[in-house]
Amino acid sequence: MRAFLALLLKEEKAIFTSPIAYVVIAAFLVTMGYTFTLTLFVTHTPTLVHLFFQIYVLFLLTVPIITMRLVAEERHLRTLELLLTTPVSEVTVILAKYLASLSLVGTMLLFSGIYAVTLGILGQPDWGPIYSGYIGLALLGSALVAIGLFTSSLVSNQIVAALLSLSLFLLLWIIDQLGNFLPDPFNALVVNMSLLVHFRPFATGSLFISDAGFFISVALLGLFLSVRALAHR
Amino acid sequence: MSDIVVVEHLVKRYGPRPAVRDVSFSIAQGEVVGLLGPNGSGKSTIMRMLTGYLPPSEGMIRVGDLDVHTDSLAVRQRIGYVPEDTPLYEGMRVHEFLRFMGHIRGMSGRRLATAVTAACEQLQLQRVFKMPIGKLSRGYRQRVAIAQALLDAHDILILDEPTNGLDAYQVIGIRELLRSFAGQRTVILASHILSEIEKIADRVMILANGRLLTTDARADGSAPRIRLRIVGPSDAVLADLRAVKGVAAATAEPQHGRDQPGTYFVEFVPGVRAIGELARVIVARGYPLLELMEEKPDLEQAFLNVTSRAAAA
Repeated sequence: MRAFLALLLKEEKAIFTSPIAYVVIAAFLVTMGYTFTLTLFVTHTPTLVHLFFQIYVLFLLTVPIITMRLVAEERHLRTLELLLTTPVSEVTVILAKYLASLSLVGTMLLFSGIYAVTLGILGQPDWGPIYSGYIGLALLGSALVAIGLFTSSLVSNQIVAALLSLSLFLLLWIIDQLGNFLPDPFNALVVNMSLLVHFRPFATGSLFISDAGFFISVALLGLFLSVRALAHR
Repeated sequence: MSDIVVVEHLVKRYGPRPAVRDVSFSIAQGEVVGLLGPNGSGKSTIMRMLTGYLPPSEGMIRVGDLDVHTDSLAVRQRIGYVPEDTPLYEGMRVHEFLRFMGHIRGMSGRRLATAVTAACEQLQLQRVFKMPIGKLSRGYRQRVAIAQALLDAHDILILDEPTNGLDAYQVIGIRELLRSFAGQRTVILASHILSEIEKIADRVMILANGRLLTTDARADGSAPRIRLRIVGPSDAVLADLRAVKGVAAATAEPQHGRDQPGTYFVEFVPGVRAIGELARVIVARGYPLLELMEEKPDLEQAFLNVTSRAAAA
């Protein structure tokens, strides 16, 4: 446990002392502020649905930047050799890196809560879809960070890691379009791999265990593959 | 003393290319062992397999009763490791790094603080204690890497090229530090610098092209010989020396006068060290014996012998 906390603290420091974290948070908030204001003034409707879809896209674009250094940097600088010759397991290393990155995603979501609070002060929003939207975003973030961590653990070049995860995210975003061209039962299988298909119900106020299960499964698979990639030396 | 590290038929392949080929050796507790070989001979790969960082393609490594591959975490608890080229966390300060390495080894509180202070004193790191590692010179970085390996009271220290980048004074310091562990901790160090290994290690193993050529270069490379200074007729002295049981060969340096002391070299047959008998015979024959000294085998010569034998084979 002590080793895990030490690793977690190291990762948190690495993330929150890096300018990347603040650039990502700033870009995230500015873009959302713009969308929030515009949507509110144009529609005069107290809803965050547009904002949730915007955060969905922003997550696809920013998570690769957050996760790209996690293992790739350690591989490049060979500190992984130093780390994995101490009595810490690959699982501990991966979990510490995962939770630290997730904390930055959580911070971004926390900051976006300002818009929900503003909406609550200015009008009378339906809080149900807002809660479900945030649950969906948290689950989406968990899955994306796990995939980003996995691609980072495959290579020693951070840019390559970021491009790999971005490509995967974009593929999983539009994969349901591809499903339309496939015969049964492949079309259903491919459509169900889409991030958007599983996120849309959350953003519009519907909670399904199957959608939550999808994101949790992707997160667990990403973590498992990350551990395997780290153990493969 | 019992063997603390046992390596049997170790093989490591990177794709089809074998980097380590059928290497077997054992190391006794408290021994200081050097792994000598040219760059690319497989030293670092063996070091990485000993620490559990790399899995072997074939073969087995045991530390005490533990298998390095299957009981990796327990083995790592017993090993302090300094990798080649000192990979360190550049953004951390020296004290942060040492505390971090102590924490992930399960140390804390007063025990950790004492260990960090002691390691810094041993490696003379007090002056750079609060400096970021990224701003340190190569010599200091090397010392920080060694300091982290000394934090816990490990049974085994594994150091890959530990004196790289150090100046002459620092090299002497590290050499004395490592020698001071002899008998207490098992030290395994790899180097391509022959003179360095010669001064630190009790026993030297030689590697070339992934093959272990000898597990004791001093014993295999050339047999120890006895140097004597005796007054007497050269031919008669040589005949008497050769007649001693166990003597394989006796030679003499050219003598300048019949009554002048002559220098003789005696080699024993393998497994025999009849030094007492040699002295007794010389004295019994009535020759004044001025000097009798066992000459240590020359490691440089041993290295050349072993590597040329391997090349010829």
